[in-house]
Amino acid sequence: MLTESFTIGSRTAPSRALFGPHETNLGSGRALSDRHVAYYRERAAGGCGVLVVETASVHDSDWPYERAPLAADCGPGWTAIVEACSPALVLASLGHTGGQGSSAYSQQPLWAPSAVADAVSRELPMVMEDTEIAVLTAGFGTAARLAMASGCAGVEIEAGDRSVLRQFLSGITNQRADDYGTDKARLLREVIAAARAAVGDGLVALRLSCDELAPWAGITPEHALELVPTLDVDLLTVVRAGPYAGSAYRPDAHVPEGFNKALCASVKAVARCPVVLQGSVVSEAFASSALAEGGCDLVEMTRAQIAEPALLQKLRTGAAPRPCVLCNQGCRVRDARNPIVSCIGEPRSGHELSDALPVDGGSGEVLVVGGGPAGLECARVLALQGFSVEIREAAEILGGAVLDAALGAGRERLRALVAWLAAECDRLGVKVVLGHEVLAAELSSYSGRVVLATGASARDTGWVDARDALRGVLQDGPVLVHDPVGGPVGVSVAEKLAADGREVRIVTQDPIVGTLLSLTGDLADCNTRLQQLGVPRELKSLLRRASGGTAVLEDVWTGAQRTVPAAVVVDCGPRLPREELYETGMLRAGDCVAPRTILEAVLEGRRVALELGA
Amino acid sequence: MSRYPHLLSPLRVGPLTLKNRVVFSAHLTNYAEYGKPSEQHAAYYAARAAGGAGLIITEEHSTHVTDWPYEKLIHGFDPAVIPGYRRITDAVHAHGVPILAQLNHNGGQASSMFSRLPVWAPSPIADPLFREVPKALELHEIRDVVDGYALVAEHCVAGGFDGVELQCSHSSLVRGFLSPATNVRTDAYGGVLENRARLLFEIVAAVRSVLGPERALGVRLCGDELIEGGTTIEEAVAVARMVDATAQVDYINTSIGVATATLYMIEASMQVPPGYAMFIPSAIREAVSIPVIGVGRFKDPVQADRAIAAGQADLIGVVRGQIADPDFVRKARSGSAQDIRTCLSCNQECVGRMGLNRWLGCIENPRTGREAVVLPMPTRRAQRVLVVGGGPAGLQAAVTAAERGHRVTLLEKADRLGGQVPVAASVPSRAEFLDITRNLAAAAQRVGVDVKLQHEATADEITADAPDAVILATGAVPARPWWAGDLTQVVDVRDVLEGRASPRGRVLVVDELGFHQATSVAELLADRGCFVEVATPGMVVGQDLGITLDLETWNVKADAKGIAQLTDVVPMSATEGITLTLQHHPTGTDLTRTVDWVVCAVQQRADDALWQALKGSLFPVHRVGDCVAPRRAHAAVIEGHRAAVAL
Repeated sequence: MLTESFTIGSRTAPSRALFGPHETNLGSGRALSDRHVAYYRERAAGGCGVLVVETASVHDSDWPYERAPLAADCGPGWTAIVEACSPALVLASLGHTGGQGSSAYSQQPLWAPSAVADAVSRELPMVMEDTEIAVLTAGFGTAARLAMASGCAGVEIEAGDRSVLRQFLSGITNQRADDYGTDKARLLREVIAAARAAVGDGLVALRLSCDELAPWAGITPEHALELVPTLDVDLLTVVRAGPYAGSAYRPDAHVPEGFNKALCASVKAVARCPVVLQGSVVSEAFASSALAEGGCDLVEMTRAQIAEPALLQKLRTGAAPRPCVLCNQGCRVRDARNPIVSCIGEPRSGHELSDALPVDGGSGEVLVVGGGPAGLECARVLALQGFSVEIREAAEILGGAVLDAALGAGRERLRALVAWLAAECDRLGVKVVLGHEVLAAELSSYSGRVVLATGASARDTGWVDARDALRGVLQDGPVLVHDPVGGPVGVSVAEKLAADGREVRIVTQDPIVGTLLSLTGDLADCNTRLQQLGVPRELKSLLRRASGGTAVLEDVWTGAQRTVPAAVVVDCGPRLPREELYETGMLRAGDCVAPRTILEAVLEGRRVALELGA
Repeated sequence: MSRYPHLLSPLRVGPLTLKNRVVFSAHLTNYAEYGKPSEQHAAYYAARAAGGAGLIITEEHSTHVTDWPYEKLIHGFDPAVIPGYRRITDAVHAHGVPILAQLNHNGGQASSMFSRLPVWAPSPIADPLFREVPKALELHEIRDVVDGYALVAEHCVAGGFDGVELQCSHSSLVRGFLSPATNVRTDAYGGVLENRARLLFEIVAAVRSVLGPERALGVRLCGDELIEGGTTIEEAVAVARMVDATAQVDYINTSIGVATATLYMIEASMQVPPGYAMFIPSAIREAVSIPVIGVGRFKDPVQADRAIAAGQADLIGVVRGQIADPDFVRKARSGSAQDIRTCLSCNQECVGRMGLNRWLGCIENPRTGREAVVLPMPTRRAQRVLVVGGGPAGLQAAVTAAERGHRVTLLEKADRLGGQVPVAASVPSRAEFLDITRNLAAAAQRVGVDVKLQHEATADEITADAPDAVILATGAVPARPWWAGDLTQVVDVRDVLEGRASPRGRVLVVDELGFHQATSVAELLADRGCFVEVATPGMVVGQDLGITLDLETWNVKADAKGIAQLTDVVPMSATEGITLTLQHHPTGTDLTRTVDWVVCAVQQRADDALWQALKGSLFPVHRVGDCVAPRRAHAAVIEGHRAAVAL
């Protein structure tokens, strides 16, 4: 069913997969760019059914992030995307983030139903008066007219994760005494009507938070079930999001796939239009069964199509799509630094105009030393280009450091990426030799070209390496997890050991644990999980030494020292490149150049392969 | 004879003659657009040149494609920058001021986020901020680095710069090589100081050969890295001596700290004493024959003049001082130094916006960062403008309106101007914050604003007066949290700072704002002998102090003053006693605190009574600042300015 076409009102989508609106930072000023067009074109060519463009602000009082599109500037971009993306249905997402926006770019007060500060920014908004409400409603109408004039199949109104419309619907953020407070859905209905009047025979879709996860005052599923039948829309995407819901809208792999399924099915039962299931749906199996069960009509598979632009096309031909592993490391780009949307497994995502595709015509033999993500991706792309490729891997299994990382709590899905890479290498005829540690002498006698992807090794700290700890090689007694990095590793080690029943504490020099996880959305969540697991967080502290069952920690500001129980210290610090085989001028990729993340490993593995094929 | 004979005297620096000793030293602006210098860059530097700066040094220009630590970095290695360079240098030279370009490779103090390339550094040691393990440079890559500096120097020559400065100080590959903390190489570039300094001297030689004798070459060195195992002053002086001995370098600039480890000492806030880094130029100046620049919280000409007179430095970097007032030197020279809009060192809109990838601004100068946006011409017909409220929003509105030719009356109900600013600045460690309204009040007097104190405006009075325009800046009032009930010993921060409440004994400060309000009052009460704890629903107490580089000093002081910190808690109820029940929201568990007083640092309520009464009047009514929505001072200043310009 997923790959079959589906009719919505007057329009037909070529498949039941939806590519949802998300921040890309691909914009040029506040307009949609050529990079946007190329990004969406690949997903449409890959069989996407409904493609919802990055949300555009309907009025210049809303400028939530620097590269946020502004509807008034989006006409040419929408036209170019529509032209590039046939036959996918292209919807323009229209929104206003209200009190969840930012005043940093507009330098104007935020607009919101009531004087309630956003929980994250703590910035107090101005209370919208009749003037602002009229401007906002008119803005939706004007933007919808422009979207239709630009060739879009319709518009999607944003009342989900960050939206002034949701803020009006919610008792947390709407404390008004006027009609818009006593009838909290009034503004939404007026906006839908304005859009309806503007789109003619086009579609009015709605992305609606049906659960703010704040039942004391927020939107609850019960509210949503009352509201939905009253709404005049053609397509409804059911999401959960709210002012205190943090990462709930698009969480990482700590939350199970398809977490909105039951909520969505209950909404579908009362809806007068087709309903879209949203929320970490990344596998064909889950999507198809959700459709078959009848709890939804379409499935949003945004991250799955960031990871695999040709998702539907591959499913139609029986090929295996590159899996999304729900890591949020490359694709969640709501960050002041304006990173470009991308993917750890498909680093070309977001870089469609600059990154080359493999071309046939390679010949000769290439030896890839190391079967982690860098080596596997290199071998895969070399084989695609016609090279005869052999991987020699020291371990008895392919996957490298990813296999160990995937032992960490909440990171199990990472294994799917290297499994896919290994299966692709197998399918493409890559020869794999396992349990074979390549020595320098062997390389000097090898006649073909060589690529090193030998990974990294632990620093010499005298403590237990994180990889060993994850494999379960750990003596008894209290554990101190030393995490100077603040990435996903330290947290996942601590959580796994705590779940295994070990007494664990985690030490960091930072005021919170996991500072680098702000990018993935897991920052607040991981600190919450650790506290729920009873893992003491030794914050703002340096590990000075450990012996005899205790460790000495030092306050980073005051220098005051204290001891904590620590029979074992697990070091989750940065690693060192394995350079034993390297000689100047050799090709290499990934951690053996500099130990970093899967993204860089895959990117460099591919780059080396493309370089050899050029 | 000038009042500042040392500061305003000329100085020869290599081939250049500077008219005075004030340097607008290099600093990030985030004005670059897609790797190229923008029109805003030219307008920004030109404003400081017009204001009389002796020497301008631009922000850094990246010398190699591997160096891209933040989005809006100038890609000096790309020849496409040259027209933008020319636009800057022409604009600055029009005022007779020399301008240098700063060249840099940030080395390991970067990530691959933008470059999608491995980060380069002497050794594979991850930076404390970016935490990405760099690639240890190979010898052929070191040659590429040196070539990159030479290439960018060529671009700078083509772009009309009078020379270049090499950033070898707080965020640079060269410092990475110089420092034993980050350089553990065993080849000719590691080990003894001569080896660690080898890259510097290769770059100096390559760049000098591009510049020739007609252009200046400076080197900026870090005098103390303030990190374990890092460079200290003795070695910095040794390097300076070696730089001098090359006879190829025209001056030495200085700095303190490492940008990715101890930024709070590089761009120190008002918590750090002025002149705190002058031990560095002092020590270096004794060891070298070339001019030395000193930097660090120079706010006024007197202070800078004395530092030169005392022999601490030959030149003084005044960066934030000229961000706040581009006419710093002109005003000093013309005998109106009292008119200088002195910097607060609050770091809110300059430093605070840099780390967030936003354009550089200034809390008290609404034109900073907007120099390239031309204001509409002042009106020909003077209007009679009434401003209600003398806080920063009303003062700024009044000053801008009067500057643009309007006849302005300002009504303030209190007996002094400044609104909440004097209250915030009444805490000793925040005293310099007062300058924002002190400067504005002086400006108001200068431009002829008719200020009426102790005059509480009424809607009837304003309607009867029927001015041509009204700007309401009536501010905000404390709002009592729902859980406080009518407990008399639950009070607002303003109650304490304005003297209406004097907590004693055990005090819990409830912080929902994450800024100076809670930490200031906590310090004040601890100083008065209270036992203070600060509780916040956030993950960190004083979260936004991180943006202004005040979090480090707050933590040190909090520890010294015995102030406890409690995070992740939300007040649920308060009963007589006072017993406050707090929910630890990550775990859903309740905890209680029994204290003598609770002080609330919570959102205020807009005082918009006049707005509600007057909106829809026959004359235009505008509102600005906290009476729209209570926020921070920068919003008040920007909105006051904007409303006045729009009249």
